[in-house]
Amino acid sequence: MNTAAAPRTTGTPRLHRPADLGEAVRFLADNPGAVPVAGGTDLLIDRRLGRITTDCMVDISHLDISGIERDGDHLRIGATTTIRTIETSTELAVSAPALLEAARVLGSIQIRNMATLGGNLCHATPSAEMPPPLLVFDAEATIVSSSGWRTIELAQLFTGPGETSLQPGELLTGVTAHVGDGIGSCYIRQTVRWAMDLAGVGVAASVRIEPETNGIVSSVRVALAAVNPVPTVVEGLDSIVVGKTLDADVLDEAAALARRSASPISDARGTAQYRRHVVGVLTARALRVCTARAANTWPPNRAVPPNGFDPELLVDSGVTR
Amino acid sequence: MSVTENTRQGESDRNRVVGRRIPKLDAAEKVTGSTVYIDDMRIAGVLTAAIKRSPHAHARIVSIDTTEAEALPGVHAVIHAGNADQRPFGYGNDNEPLKRSKVRCIGDEVAAVAAVDDEVAKLAIELIDVTYDLLPEVDDPFAAMSADAPTIHDELDIDGNIAMRWDFETGDLAAAEARSAVIVEGRYSSPQAAPAPIETHAVIADFDPTGHLRVISPVHMVFMYRKALADCLGLDWQRITVQQPPVGGSFGGKIDIDTHDFITVMLARAAQRPVKLVMTREEEFVGSRTRQPIHFKLRTGADADGMITFRDAEVVSDNGAYNAWGSHAMLVAMNTVTSLYKIPASRMSCAVVYTNKNYGGSVRGFGNPQATFAVEQQTEELADALGIDPMQFRLQNANKANETTTQGLKITTCGLSDCIEAVRDKSGWNRRRGKQRGRFRGMGAATYIHVGGGARIYGSDGCGAMIKIDDSGQVALISGSSELGQGSETVLAMIVAEELGVGVDVVSVTHNDTDVKPWDVGVHASRTTFVAGNAARLAARGARTKLLAAAAEVLDVPVTKLDLRDGMIIHDGDRDTAMPYTKAIRRSLLREHSSIVMSTAFYDPPTEKQDEGYIGNISATYGFGAHVAEVEVDPETGMIQLINLWAAHDVGRAINPMSCEGQIEGGAVMGIGLALSEELPVTDGRFLAPNLHDYGMPTAVDAPRIDVTLVETIDPLGPYGAKGIGEGGIICPPAAIANAVADAIGIRPRQYPMRPWKVVDWIKREERSTVIDRRGAASS
Repeated sequence: MNTAAAPRTTGTPRLHRPADLGEAVRFLADNPGAVPVAGGTDLLIDRRLGRITTDCMVDISHLDISGIERDGDHLRIGATTTIRTIETSTELAVSAPALLEAARVLGSIQIRNMATLGGNLCHATPSAEMPPPLLVFDAEATIVSSSGWRTIELAQLFTGPGETSLQPGELLTGVTAHVGDGIGSCYIRQTVRWAMDLAGVGVAASVRIEPETNGIVSSVRVALAAVNPVPTVVEGLDSIVVGKTLDADVLDEAAALARRSASPISDARGTAQYRRHVVGVLTARALRVCTARAANTWPPNRAVPPNGFDPELLVDSGVTR
Repeated sequence: MSVTENTRQGESDRNRVVGRRIPKLDAAEKVTGSTVYIDDMRIAGVLTAAIKRSPHAHARIVSIDTTEAEALPGVHAVIHAGNADQRPFGYGNDNEPLKRSKVRCIGDEVAAVAAVDDEVAKLAIELIDVTYDLLPEVDDPFAAMSADAPTIHDELDIDGNIAMRWDFETGDLAAAEARSAVIVEGRYSSPQAAPAPIETHAVIADFDPTGHLRVISPVHMVFMYRKALADCLGLDWQRITVQQPPVGGSFGGKIDIDTHDFITVMLARAAQRPVKLVMTREEEFVGSRTRQPIHFKLRTGADADGMITFRDAEVVSDNGAYNAWGSHAMLVAMNTVTSLYKIPASRMSCAVVYTNKNYGGSVRGFGNPQATFAVEQQTEELADALGIDPMQFRLQNANKANETTTQGLKITTCGLSDCIEAVRDKSGWNRRRGKQRGRFRGMGAATYIHVGGGARIYGSDGCGAMIKIDDSGQVALISGSSELGQGSETVLAMIVAEELGVGVDVVSVTHNDTDVKPWDVGVHASRTTFVAGNAARLAARGARTKLLAAAAEVLDVPVTKLDLRDGMIIHDGDRDTAMPYTKAIRRSLLREHSSIVMSTAFYDPPTEKQDEGYIGNISATYGFGAHVAEVEVDPETGMIQLINLWAAHDVGRAINPMSCEGQIEGGAVMGIGLALSEELPVTDGRFLAPNLHDYGMPTAVDAPRIDVTLVETIDPLGPYGAKGIGEGGIICPPAAIANAVADAIGIRPRQYPMRPWKVVDWIKREERSTVIDRRGAASS
């Protein structure tokens, strides 16, 4: 038996609370190992599991980088906006329901009250809910550091599972999505249980219908979660869809392209083969919902089921075959 | 009018407490967070324990070097098989707390430390250097039975990796098969699942200066725990006290002694300090007992009239690295194979197989959800093959009161038909089953039989009870049973209040200290309301007799003229002159030649241990029930949404209907989890998901409203007619949901959980029933 004083193996991390964004950025520049924290819903678990070992955290939850703002076709969302705020936003319900639908299925209400958009993006989990609906609105990320501001396409933020292109000392302050009239969007996903689950496959889509054209698509985006190391925009959809109406053949082609864009792994949430199959299923469903929304034919008070499977609305339309 | 109704009417006038909806007595402290669990307990000088576990599924231990851990400041004890005083334990003595020569599954304990705090303990564990010589591993029970499989227990004199066999046969199977018009055959499997209580396993061990050991443990077979501790660790069991704090969920997982209990006591012995172990969530999944996977190959036949002719089951139980309790789940599975419905001939041939996996323990339902998944799917497959409505088929084959099954189970009361009719009618079965496939909706049912009056697996199936009434009039019941959150405290207090004729608010229940409470087998087999309830009722009856005698003496009237109701002693029916019982107590006590009311009882149900052929009436009564599930299946993603669940249960008598409903709903939600999502996925013996996030317990969103019907059959031996109900709720959902999926999309689920990718796979393979229809052959 050894009776000497016990060593302190790890300590409670220091929590720095800067007065404003400027101080936060200077602090991050001076303390390269410091980790920004807002809601902490991922970080505290990572710490417990030893995935991060920092001894210093910077509280950014009170900084003025929160809120949802619509300016013409620009929709700005601050990094520390909570997921619950997004879920309950009347603005997003109109301009970008995909974002609201992704927020709605993230964790539990308790988690959504704490978790922030910036945290969900910067944690860079391949199955994260918030990147796909932002990617289908061509979102840009705004980043600040002691040397100034820069803006990148959101897709460029994600470099690998848990990895981003943020440099030491940089802080994500918000995203800007490009919304507009005539765009329908949605986010649906496959899970094992119906709440408190990570997506096995997540699919966001947006479709713009040209006015007065009887359903001719002028732009289309599909983005995938959980089937690649990073959230992925399906490339090459335009040539399949744009200028056409989304009939069954076009949907089949789009679904096939989405399947080819996925390189899923097999894990506790499903086999690779199954996930690839579901990418196609959910892509077709999401495009169908988006089209109806863009054309204002989706019943306004009808919620899209989390997996987009609505026998009454979708079976007859031939989506489910 | 039936006998049942007579009894009910006769008693209903008298019952003041039994039958009332009373919230659990501990509800307020639970919802306000004031309950003190083991993790909350602060004990002066306590050390923290941590366990070094094997990262390998099968390996020989070459060496264990603890030098660095012992040198770490703050470490008070480091133990391993080389320096610990321990003996083998478990069924067939196939286990030891700290492994000496081999590890046989990931999580196996090889060393442990006691240190000043959690961080030092964890660091010390990392500093222990174990050298392993890896051995070939086997995680599949069928592979484990093959001739070239690695031998997991080379030290035991057994047939390869087959740990046990349970073989039962009754009736003339060949003749039964010959007269069958239709035979259905199929395979049905279940996964490794976990009891997953929110409070992880925890234990505190403390030797006093004289060497008397106090253990604080949530275990619920507490007297056997004490004996097992003494036997394994060379202690004097007369000098062991076991105290049971409030339990944050067990569901069977905390039933009995486990390796970490021994280890904590050995650490306390080595460190000469109190030691506390609290498992992490990951340890809870990796290092405590699971529900073992069971593989059924089942055949069931029926004649042209739709009467079941036989059941024939070949069963392989994948019980993991050691036997533990899980090896005995076959006893319960056997009851279902032989005795759910009238089965003239049946056979069950079962091998319990060692594999290099975490091993099976006791989990709520104990083999019955797995067996019912096979048996009750086949019931509907058979009915459909014969063109008979499955509910009609069930009704015509249903067990009845006053019948003895071929396995010797004596069914006294039986509400099975009532339960079937209740869920059939409430669910709209006749209108909806088989008629919603176009909307991908379906309905399925399942029924069960389960012990409801104890289960004699030891010499005694008894429980003691003591009652004392003090000068305030407070009635203290000291029961041998244990409260795990199942509500036994409340039910026992209600029984005592009813029998004595006092309010439930004056009854306290003590049941948490082996120094104080009388002997009991422990909580298992849904036995507490029945066995501990009868003991409490007998003790209360004795106390009532004594109380009335004391009152007769102080009032100087004949005792035969006295009654005690609502806390008042009534002479000759005259309520105007009634005296509070508390006054009688005090007048009897506060005088010369004083006396006080105390009473004891021991109740052992009139049952028998099964013979070598597994024949015998193991329980004093049997519980029955029926569920109907309604699902919507997304045929493209395979996601299943449970829309409705109807549950009807024969509870004998609902002592507390609110408690009955809670047990049934809670059990059903666990059953829904088994059916749809819960699984410890294992690859090469490794858990892919040892956490609550991935494990897949259902959330409130996953659980539909559950419509519960309580069917009262007033069991002649149960306390006020009650039967055990603790496990009933969990048994049916996997089978009922599988049948509902089959109704919705025409595909027959072969295993649970029915996770989405499996459903898609079954659809792709067009998984359907295998039916041998001999009607054409017979007529030609």
